[in-house]
Amino acid sequence: MVIGNFQHKMAAHCESGTITSLLNHAGLEITEPLIFGISSGIFFGYFHKMKSFPFPTFIVRNKPGQMRKNIEKLLGVKFMNYTFKNPDSGIRKLDELLEQKIPTSAQVDYFYLDYVPSWERVHINVHFLIVIGKEGARYIISDSYFPKLVELDAISLKNARFAGGSMSPKGFLFHTTTIPVEIDFKTAITKGINKACFNMLNLPVPFLGVKGIRFFAKKIIDWPKLARDTEHLSHEIMKINILLEDQGTGGAGFRFIYATFLQQVAEKINKPELTDLSRQLMEIGDGWRELSLFAARIGKNRDLGPEKIKQLSDMIMDRAYVEEKFFKTLNSVIKRN
Amino acid sequence: MKEKEGYADFPEQQIILYVEKEDGKYGPIQTGSYLSANYIDDYFDKRRNLESALREQVISGKKSMIFYYMILEDLSLSELSSRVKINKSRVKKHLDANQFGKATAEELRRYANVFNIPVANLLQVILIRENDLYKTATEIDNKIKDNSLIQQVTNNPFVTETKIKECK
Repeated sequence: MVIGNFQHKMAAHCESGTITSLLNHAGLEITEPLIFGISSGIFFGYFHKMKSFPFPTFIVRNKPGQMRKNIEKLLGVKFMNYTFKNPDSGIRKLDELLEQKIPTSAQVDYFYLDYVPSWERVHINVHFLIVIGKEGARYIISDSYFPKLVELDAISLKNARFAGGSMSPKGFLFHTTTIPVEIDFKTAITKGINKACFNMLNLPVPFLGVKGIRFFAKKIIDWPKLARDTEHLSHEIMKINILLEDQGTGGAGFRFIYATFLQQVAEKINKPELTDLSRQLMEIGDGWRELSLFAARIGKNRDLGPEKIKQLSDMIMDRAYVEEKFFKTLNSVIKRN
Repeated sequence: MKEKEGYADFPEQQIILYVEKEDGKYGPIQTGSYLSANYIDDYFDKRRNLESALREQVISGKKSMIFYYMILEDLSLSELSSRVKINKSRVKKHLDANQFGKATAEELRRYANVFNIPVANLLQVILIRENDLYKTATEIDNKIKDNSLIQQVTNNPFVTETKIKECK
């Protein structure tokens, strides 16, 4: 059984892509950049020491699950959410929803998805996909990172949905229930931008927002001391490129998709200044991309001496400077009547 | 980023990039991963070297296969402990070859489940000969899917069916 009228679409990011597809299926025409922007997806956080990660890392989006919550709050759409203590109940519920022809999003650990190429598979508990059918012991899945529908056996899906560890999915499922007749997009967009600016500029924590980018620039100098050997350091430095470009960001750590959002909403909320700001953010994104390509290159060449790491650190620091300026301007534009 | 700069040829890993199109509008394009298109060989080289160094530590009696898979799958001690639901100090012991024997069969099943491997692979290293070199399937994948050797799960969580194909 497959929900035949579900339209599979690739997306830049799994959570914004999943929400977009579910809302589109329910009849709301909305783009992924709008979902990403309204839900204040753009962010930065650097984690130098965290028990769940074996090496320092960073994030370029808000907390997993937050996009869904923000969209619900700001657009007035309703999602039904489920978590399960017992895996068997979680499997039964998913099968029931599929029988009712309800496309259902599941939170999973990316590592257990057999259709993902081996070099991409990592233990990360916050991947979102949409299950749209079941044939025998195989589920039919719309995963926004893949050009076509994929299949996954029931055991792998169970392992992926009920993996333990930090941010454990606990079998989490959600699907759309209500789309309001009228949506106040102007207020939603304004609030979404306001929140994004607050998150980037004003969170009173040294490792989040623009402060987090500066913290990253300072702390990356210590990375050589934390690595097992040169190859490990090379791997971690090259991961900067993965986190910014390949791991579902739309390029440049979500800066390109947010620039697209600003361009798309400039007219909608009658703020022509946003068009110019979107251009500025595209250029800021080009700088992030330059940085990520530099990281890939020095990692590949094992050119990881103090000078090169310092150069990388300076490039990151420069991103903090331009982003601070950008978000301050965006904040003042959005607050102006 | 301009649209023409966004394209990379790597059909095995497609991504969506947001770019500036010719008409000045920003929007999505589907393209290959630039990193994989240009650096995937380097990833596999490093993976092979890491796998070989870890195997050496296991074979020499310093570390257990739990340590081997924990590092290979990029898990921290805390994360592994939380996933297998065994306290951290006990997991730490299981990483050591000399203390590994204290793990119960049930604990091994839990580790294998997290690593997505048969329980049997916590007790053995399988090397497959290819082009005069012996390599493990874990260099590339966590499940042995090589043509010459197939491991299949059974309804018994502790038993793996291993099929060896005749090489012609």
